[in-house]
Amino acid sequence: MAAIPEDAFFAPVTELSRRLRDEEFTAVELTRAFCDRLEKFGPRYNALALLLREEALRKAREADDEIKRGRFRGVLQGIPFGAKDLLSVRGKPTTWGARPYAGQVFDYDATVLRKLDRARAILAAKLAMVELAGGGGYRYASASLTGPGLNPWDRTRWSGGSSSGSAAAVAAGLVPFALASETWGSILTPSAYCGVTGLRPTYGLVSRYGAMPLSWTMDKIGPICRSADDCGHVLRAISGGDSNDPSSAGKTFYYNPQLARRPAELRVGYAPVDIEEWAEESARPAFRQALEVIRGLGVKMLEVELPDLPYGLVAGTIISAEGSAVFEPLIRSGQVEQLADRKQIAGLKAGLEISAKDYFKAMRIRRVVMEEMRKLFASVDVLVSPSRFGPATKITEPLDRPARPRPEPKRRGLRDLGAAGNLAGLPALSLPCGFAGGLPVAIQLVGRPFSENNLIALGRAFQDQTDWHRRRPPVEPSTPDR
Amino acid sequence: MVRHNIAMAQKLTRREWVAALAAPALAQAPAEEESAEQLLARARQDLLQGAERLGKFPLPMAVEPAFVFKP
Repeated sequence: MAAIPEDAFFAPVTELSRRLRDEEFTAVELTRAFCDRLEKFGPRYNALALLLREEALRKAREADDEIKRGRFRGVLQGIPFGAKDLLSVRGKPTTWGARPYAGQVFDYDATVLRKLDRARAILAAKLAMVELAGGGGYRYASASLTGPGLNPWDRTRWSGGSSSGSAAAVAAGLVPFALASETWGSILTPSAYCGVTGLRPTYGLVSRYGAMPLSWTMDKIGPICRSADDCGHVLRAISGGDSNDPSSAGKTFYYNPQLARRPAELRVGYAPVDIEEWAEESARPAFRQALEVIRGLGVKMLEVELPDLPYGLVAGTIISAEGSAVFEPLIRSGQVEQLADRKQIAGLKAGLEISAKDYFKAMRIRRVVMEEMRKLFASVDVLVSPSRFGPATKITEPLDRPARPRPEPKRRGLRDLGAAGNLAGLPALSLPCGFAGGLPVAIQLVGRPFSENNLIALGRAFQDQTDWHRRRPPVEPSTPDR
Repeated sequence: MVRHNIAMAQKLTRREWVAALAAPALAQAPAEEESAEQLLARARQDLLQGAERLGKFPLPMAVEPAFVFKP
């Protein structure tokens, strides 16, 4: 039996695929090695919800049989992966990260998992998450059935939410890639905090059938990977129309990096105030350098600013109203009290009281947001801004108030790009771009609906010029914790 | 405490009034010991303030809600 070399745990999917076909190791060996790592290190980061070793090894044997017979089904064949525990796996617990649902079992697989199974990728584990993907609004990182997501770069820091386990597991080399979900920040934030590459697809591009709903009009499922290129391969496999998902756009993503627009053809909008004032001081050098790298790719850089609209308030109202409607039975039954975060309990209860008038007002302003974003994207092809304005917060720090209040900058810049992008259903790619105080920071690229190929192409060009996405955290237990 | 503040306030300038009224909002950092009732009251208050802000946002009558949502 071939031992899996350490570097393979941090190799991109395309490289693992080549090494599988070169018979350097088998899918069974690779899967067993990743399962061992998940079992050994997963609890260290509170990243593991459920290990699926037996099922994974059975699938790996099937993949090996096909590879031996020369039946290659693409780069994901024989590659293990993890899935956020809001995706249903037939016959296995799907906890949604929350105690009231700890014993929940569905009798069907989520569409994205069926699609990855068809590509012969191997589901090795379900990964931890913030309870109910944060619905209701939580105060502490500990808002999870599995405890606070701990950051592989520094376990005193949060891995981000709500896809905490997905990002931490990829960062720590416990899986080559993972599935995650975003309603407002749940892919980009943990990707940025853990130093991995995350893609939020256009709303409707990826089926949500079999995923926990939080906000019907804002939920998206996407990959967290080692590189922009890997994100392209995974998105290719999971995208596509689905009659089981009423919000499905009926579109398929074809990963064509060679057909994407070259950087020199792209107009990239940015706001200096994002970096010079909104960003934390320790992170500014990394953001400045990232902007210079992008400029150096030959793109045309243009200064832009988001129109003055109440993005955060609108997103918060919609998610709160829809989330409380989704979880009304939980709230009415009183089982909501079993959640770990008391602020979240209160938020879910209060959300039931949002009036139709206020929800509709938020949805009408959302229409204006979409129109304004459309206008903005008439003058630029891509927007770039920090994914988060600073590195991961301490796990003990309340998330709903800043540790050190700072005077608010006078200009808005692209500060609300996260809320605006999610309200308008726009795709975004988070790219690691350096470190601040030993912790990763990242930039986000945001584009027009269904422009994922352009974002990935620009992300690939950025990652060809940098090595931030190849940096590894100190994972071995012998490494002293910082 | 409140009575004391009101008594003091009678001698305040307009600018001091504004600062004094803003102080409770700035000091809203929630204490760890907040009860479930207090947390719920705060959540309701936040929603109420949000609703007021939404209500003040001017919109032409023709603007329809983002249903069915398509990016």
